[in-house]
Amino acid sequence: MTSENMVELKNITKKFGKDTAVNNLNLTVKAGEFLTLLGPSGCGKTTTLRMIAGFEKPTEGEVWINDQQVANVEPYKREVNTVFQSYSLFPHMNVFDNVAFGLKMKKTGKEEIAERVMNALKLVQLEGYIDRKPKQLSGGQQQRIAIARAIVNNPKVLLLDEPLGALDLKLRKQMQMELKHLQQSLGITFIYVTHDQEEALTMSDRIVVMNQGEIEQIGLPEEIYEKPTSKFVADFIGETNIFEGVVTNTQNEYADLNIDGVSIGIPKTISLVQDERVYMSIRPEKAKVSVTKDETAHLNGTLKEKIYVGSVTKIIVQLPNGREMVVNESGDSLRDVKAGNDVYVSWQPEETVVFKD
Amino acid sequence: MRPKTKKILFLFTTLIFMFFYIPIIILMAFSFNDSKVGTVWTGFTFDWYKSLFSNDQIISAVTNSLIIAVITTLIATVFGTLAALAIHRYNFPGKKAFNFLFYIPVVIPDIIVAVALLALYGWLDITLGISTVFPGHVAITISYVMLVVIARLAGLDASLEEAAKDLGANEWQTFWKVTFPLIFPGVLAGALLAFTISLDEFVISYFTTGPGSDTLPVLVYSMVRLGVSPEINALSTIMVLLIVIMVVITGRKMRVSK
Ligand SMILES: Nc1ncnc2c1ncn2[C@@H]1O[C@H](COP(=O)(O)OP(=O)(O)O)[C@@H](O)[C@H]1O
Ligand SMILES: [Mg+2]
Repeated sequence: MTSENMVELKNITKKFGKDTAVNNLNLTVKAGEFLTLLGPSGCGKTTTLRMIAGFEKPTEGEVWINDQQVANVEPYKREVNTVFQSYSLFPHMNVFDNVAFGLKMKKTGKEEIAERVMNALKLVQLEGYIDRKPKQLSGGQQQRIAIARAIVNNPKVLLLDEPLGALDLKLRKQMQMELKHLQQSLGITFIYVTHDQEEALTMSDRIVVMNQGEIEQIGLPEEIYEKPTSKFVADFIGETNIFEGVVTNTQNEYADLNIDGVSIGIPKTISLVQDERVYMSIRPEKAKVSVTKDETAHLNGTLKEKIYVGSVTKIIVQLPNGREMVVNESGDSLRDVKAGNDVYVSWQPEETVVFKD
Repeated sequence: MRPKTKKILFLFTTLIFMFFYIPIIILMAFSFNDSKVGTVWTGFTFDWYKSLFSNDQIISAVTNSLIIAVITTLIATVFGTLAALAIHRYNFPGKKAFNFLFYIPVVIPDIIVAVALLALYGWLDITLGISTVFPGHVAITISYVMLVVIARLAGLDASLEEAAKDLGANEWQTFWKVTFPLIFPGVLAGALLAFTISLDEFVISYFTTGPGSDTLPVLVYSMVRLGVSPEINALSTIMVLLIVIMVVITGRKMRVSK
């Protein structure tokens, strides 16, 4: 390997007729990295993956894999393997032949095939199922076979298109951990597609948030969660409270943001101009609700609802401007507070995130 | 479903089955009838089977029909499958027209195909014989193969072929390892259809065959004008049995490869 960069997308655009599925995308994936493409359905994740695998030709731009421009490299010659969204196991072959398929195509020796197939099946804990046909397996087992069928080839890059989408929640959580461990122990570069932000946050080294064929933000999971750079990312990743306001003062340590007549201090993390309209976002777990007003209090309102969700209680506060705000409380300091009572919501100004669109 | 409706439906189905099968069963029974005029039962015999196998005219017609059916099936199945693949997979200018042209033989009356071919042979000054029967048979059966294979291809998950390529299979390997095994039931059904259509095709064979190379339906036609011989009953019985066996075997094969 001559370079750190395993996959590079350079100014990639893909059009289907007049529709642009992917628009001028630039992305570098490092060797051994677990990179996730995250975004709502239809934002171009699958199309991006298919251009790396070679099933779609970019309308414009270049795909580089392992320092080679692959425009004229057929899918079957690319050093990548895919785990398809629908698994796509060969229904007429048993588990062994499914997993052995890639090795047979490379004319690997019989004994080596048997050994590597069994090793791959051991990794996904299905070595006892070699004679089964895919339809005799559960969804979770089919998923594991699809993974074994790909990793048995020792690909440089593994592309995974919502591989856990069809599994129930518990199995999905379990497979997330297994996939992550597999990726770390094999050292394969993973490009993982999902629309599930929680999945992306738990598994990835880096996350690429996509929206309408374009990259909204690239960053570490913490960065994406804690420091979204746009309203779209803040809104899409996790739960949050977003307010729009006008900048009224930029002289002090914190700038003042006027939200429907209430002035709130915001950090000057981006350049702010007097009278400019900007958004601020505050996560439910970063804010506090109290019945007594203290000097950090920012907003007052009335308690609308308390929703117990297990680990925390979600407090819905009705604000005077008609909006609602969600705050997570883990203690029981609000045990005696009832719906309709006046409450105050407060937070540290540094916890707010400010962005322009 | 109301019990009464169910009963009526059951009765109706039974009637249809009787309508289909009673004539065939009577025919099979009379192939063992020890009487020259096949209307009264006079006793059991294998005589008609014996005389059938010593009747050179019939044996030669059966041979002609089988040769034509086998070769027609091979040609129609190979080219019908290829055409189906082309139509399924590629977009090319004039695809719609191409598609339409292939379906015309299904609806066009056989007599038109027959007359057209006859005119063509006359114009090209080709002597009629067994080889002049093939083009007509292939023309009508190829469309059926295409119809069946296209239906099978439409139900094929395209991502399976992509998975094969993703795992290093080139076009050729992808076809033989994945596409073909999965559409095989359709190809087999198409072949079976082509075989039976060719075997009992009459109009085109009658017009385009030459003297001395009668196919079975053509021979039977000329024989029954002089009254149905019990030999024909015997022959029909054998053919029914052969076809039943064929259908059972292909049915099994299809269930296995599903
Ligand atoms: N083969 C295709 N033909 C036409 N439009 C397509 C095709 N594939 C994808 N698209 C369109 O491109 C956009 C992105 O699709 P896709 O990459 O599948 O999104 P995602 O995987 O993020 O849900 C969608 O609007 C979709 O309708
Ligand atoms: Mg998708």
